[in-house]
This record gives sequence, structure tokens and C-alpha cells, in this order.
Amino acid sequence: MSTETWKFAPPYELPQWPFVAPPDLGAGEPIRYPVVIAGGGLAGLTLACDLALRGVRAVVLDEDDTVGVKGASSRGICYAQKSLEIFERFGIYERIREKGITWSVGRTFSGDDELYAFNLKDDSHSEQPPFINLQQFYLEWFLVDRIVELGGTDLRWKSRVLQVEEEAEAVRVDVETPAGRYTLEADWFIDATGANSRIRSDLGLEVHPSRSTDRWCITDVRFKVPVAAERWTWVDAPFNEGRSVWQHLMADGVWRLDYQMAEDCEPDTISRPEVAGARLRQQFGPGVEFEFVWIGPYQYRDHLLENFRVGRMLFIGDSAHVVSPFGARGGNNGIQDAANLGWKLALVLQGEASESLIDSYQAERHAAAVENLTVCRRTARFLAPRSPAEHRIRRAVCTLARRHEFARRLANTGRMAQANAYPPSAWAKQGSRSVQNVAFEGTNLMRCLGRDNRFLGLAVGADAAALASLDALAALFPIDFRGVEPTSPLAAHLGVERGTVVVVRPDAYVAATLAQATPDAVAAAMRDALGVDERERLAAVA
Amino acid sequence: MTTSRPQAMRTDPNIPDADGFYEALVAAHEGLSDEESNDLHARLVLLLANQVGDQKVLLACIAEARQDVAERPQR
Repeated sequence: MSTETWKFAPPYELPQWPFVAPPDLGAGEPIRYPVVIAGGGLAGLTLACDLALRGVRAVVLDEDDTVGVKGASSRGICYAQKSLEIFERFGIYERIREKGITWSVGRTFSGDDELYAFNLKDDSHSEQPPFINLQQFYLEWFLVDRIVELGGTDLRWKSRVLQVEEEAEAVRVDVETPAGRYTLEADWFIDATGANSRIRSDLGLEVHPSRSTDRWCITDVRFKVPVAAERWTWVDAPFNEGRSVWQHLMADGVWRLDYQMAEDCEPDTISRPEVAGARLRQQFGPGVEFEFVWIGPYQYRDHLLENFRVGRMLFIGDSAHVVSPFGARGGNNGIQDAANLGWKLALVLQGEASESLIDSYQAERHAAAVENLTVCRRTARFLAPRSPAEHRIRRAVCTLARRHEFARRLANTGRMAQANAYPPSAWAKQGSRSVQNVAFEGTNLMRCLGRDNRFLGLAVGADAAALASLDALAALFPIDFRGVEPTSPLAAHLGVERGTVVVVRPDAYVAATLAQATPDAVAAAMRDALGVDERERLAAVA
Repeated sequence: MTTSRPQAMRTDPNIPDADGFYEALVAAHEGLSDEESNDLHARLVLLLANQVGDQKVLLACIAEARQDVAERPQR
């Protein structure tokens, strides 16, 4: 029996924001707002920040008065390039980079052997790295600070949504606060309250949840051993009774160690400090000094909402979809939901696009969620074989992977989050893919997309006359044009040649790639992308 | 020019020396426990799958092999 005493680090110090009584309290009639977001987590705050930059003042209702989850440590830890590019556009990337851990190398082990390594930098052309690890609450904190700095957004703490009700042209929202209840109205209501959304369940919307029997125990620790700032995963660690282990560094020198447990284990037992400490000793040896930051047993689950839009209500982040944690596809996709929706809501509210554009959020982000679910379920199945036969197949993969490249491709300890490509749709006939934040000609794509709510037409090799004829479109559509040298890294990344115009959306996805582009062709692509014909649009603006 | 269509699973004889292959296959199992034999088969399947390299053919082969198992639901 170990007589070791176990040290715990002091808890993270997180900011608190005060409840301020809103004008709605005591107002006779409900006040009407363009966008009301319930939930100040990653998805909700990203949307609020995106909207603020696009000139839309959102109301954010959060039942807490701080960031993160009370009594728990960080949920998400890995932020992917697309998310980091969004944060670069928001102006908080540098703060994230300074606080977080930049990494690109991952290693997968089986037993005592390394099966393979990857370096995500090899495929990257962006100004942002493939990944930064950071405790989720820091990211939320930085988002709140930025939203406050930008002004305009109404952040309402200690404000809990009791009920939502759809009316003809608005959503009625009942809110409970320390100073009483009130009702407000929203043109658009966004549920970003997470996996256990009561808003969603009260509306009777089914998400077909599936709970895994696979059990894990997170152990966040601080210690002084030389461990690489890389993502290390063991398929079958000898120091964890042949089960999986994850090892990842976060900010403040905190390591996230995630141990796969036996399916029939007792969560209370495996998370006791002496049990968790013994696991650590198995991995790192008897002499290593460490202190616990957090120990948390969990079972993962997944779910998917069928319709992310219900009338004037929209569901983003975990409220709409939950995946297993392998591959960092949870938080990153909540962030991307928000970035997909922000510019669309803004253009619709500003009368520049048809309301039908909001349906493209469902078309694109539901498809992305389906893809992420498939990817994550495959990883989960590799990591938790369900029968002796599955164990045998996995063992064969790991044995061959020690010698052969083809078998390494079969070993699946997580396919890291990427910006999902979107299928062809009415809004993007060729489908749509994300453009990385490539540096070119003294600027980069995020800087070009800037703060306005406008598309960017990249005219490859266009001369002054060609640019002038394209510029005429800027009065008709929310798009600006910019010439790009055919030899520039951006043209190479896009894989396009002289004469092509690439129409980039405000969320840095390609709306259309038009070879030998004429202004008419660009105008047609813009009409598609906005879901509007010109007469309709001009009438709306008038 | 003809466009190449994805090949369907072959069921016509395609192993040049069928008896020689069979002999080598059983010889590979000589002296092995059931456990070792089953592991060998699993490795062999993966190696052969990589030789085929055609997703449609691979899925057709999996379905064909499963066909001889008595009906029961697949999870």
C-alpha cells in the first residue's frame, strides 16, 4: 500500500463578470433584438464576436458569470488551424499563441514501439499552425474580453433561458435573472447551450444519442519531466494494462493524461487520487514529482440533431452535434458552426441576402457534422474493440504497422480536425472548401477579409482594365476585388491560373472558382452564394 | 480509348498455381496454436487487401465471405 501523499494544485483563477439589470426588466412590452444567443461557451461567444465584427449587436444570455464549467477542468484542449484563423480575424490569435502550446507532431505507439508519427505542418500553408493546445476556458475568456473591447454586444450574465416560443416573425424568450424574470423577442434565436440543451429537449427535438461503454479517466497534472510538446497516443500501453493512453501538453505547464479504463470499472474508484497517482507512477516511474490539477472520469457519447434550423431558431455547437473526443472535432466544429452562420445572419439582417441563405447553414454544417460523426465513430471503434475478433484485427494492424506504411494508415488514434469541405448546393454549385490563411503580397487572407461583411474576389493575374470591370460589381454585391499574381503562394494554394477569379466568402470558404471569369459569371456566382436575384436584392436594399 | 471501370470482384480462377498456393498457405500454419494461426490469418488478410487496393472489390469480398455465415444481425 502506497503511503504517498498527493498534492493538488490551487484551482485556476478565472474572471467573473457582474450581472447588470437589463432595460428589459420592468419594460412593458418585450424589447425586440436582431440576434439572441443562449449560451456563452465556445460556439456562442464565437458567434457573438463574429457578429460584432460584422456590425450586428447580439444579446448573449449565459446562466453563469464566468467561463468554463463549474467544478470541472477544461473540456476542449486542441484548437485547429481553421479555428485559429477565425481567431486571427477576430484579433485574438496572438493572445492564444502566447498562452497556448503550438504543436504539429503526433506519435502513435503500440506496446513499447512507435508505430508512426505525423507532422501536420507538412500540409500547411497558413500563417497559423496546425494546432494550439489551450484550456477551453482561456479561449472563452479571451473571446469575452474581445467582445467587450469591440463593444455593441450585450453580454448578460446570470441569465437563464426558461422557455422559448416561436411566433410568426420572431422568437419569444423568457429569461430568469437574479433581479427577476423578463421576456424578450428575437428575430433570430441561437441555442448554443451545449450537449444537454434544455431548450432543445423542451422543444421535443430528437438527437438520437448513443452512449459508449468505453470508459476513460482524465488526469491533468503539472510535473517536471522532460516530455515533448507533441501529441502522443498509445493504442495499448504496457503501463495501462494494455489499454489506450493520451498525453498532451496545455498552457501553464499542465499535462492532460487520458487513460482508457476497463469497461466495468467504478468511476469513483478510478478517479481517487491514490488510484490515479498509481497510474501515473506506472507511466512515469516512482521518482517523478507532480501535482494534480484535475481528475475526471467520463464516458463519451454522440448525438446529431436532424435540423439545425427550426424556423427562426438555430442550433450551433454541442447542442446540434456531439462526437467522441478523438481528433478534436467537438469544440472546433462549434467554432466553425458559428463562423459559418455569422456572416449569413449579418447579410440577411442587413438586407443583402435572401432569408433562404440561412438554410445553407443546415446544408453545410449538418453535412460536416455527419462527416465528423463518421470519422470519430471509426476512431472510437479502433480504440475500443468489441470482440476478440476485433482485438485480433487491431493486433494484426499494429504488428504490420511496425514494418509497413500501408498498415500505419489503418491504425486510427484520431483523424485530426480539418475544415470540412461542403457538398455542392444551390449556394455553391461546385461545393465549397476552406482557404488557408496564406500570406501573399505583404498581407494575408484574414487581413483581407477584415472586419466588413464582404466577399473577396481574388482575380488572378488581372490587369487594371479587368479589375476595373470587376469593381463595378462591388456596387451591386457585397464583394471587393483584389488582383493576385499568378506566381503568388495564394494562387498556388488555390491551384488556379491567370484569368481565374476565386470568389471567397466572408468565412474564407470558396463560393466559386471561375476560370476565364467575366463580370457576368462573377455576378451569377454572387447571386447563387447569397441565394438572391438582383431585383430581389435591390428591392430589399431600397 | 476505353474508360477503365472499377473492377468487380473476380470469382473466375485467377491464382496461377492453385495447388501450390494452397500448400504454402497450410504450411504457414504448421506448428502454430489456434491463437497464432488466427493472428496470421488476420495479418494475411490485411496484406492481401493492400495488394487488391480497390475499395469496391474489398467491400464485395467482405460481403461474399460473410455470406456463408448463418443469418444474424450485424452490429
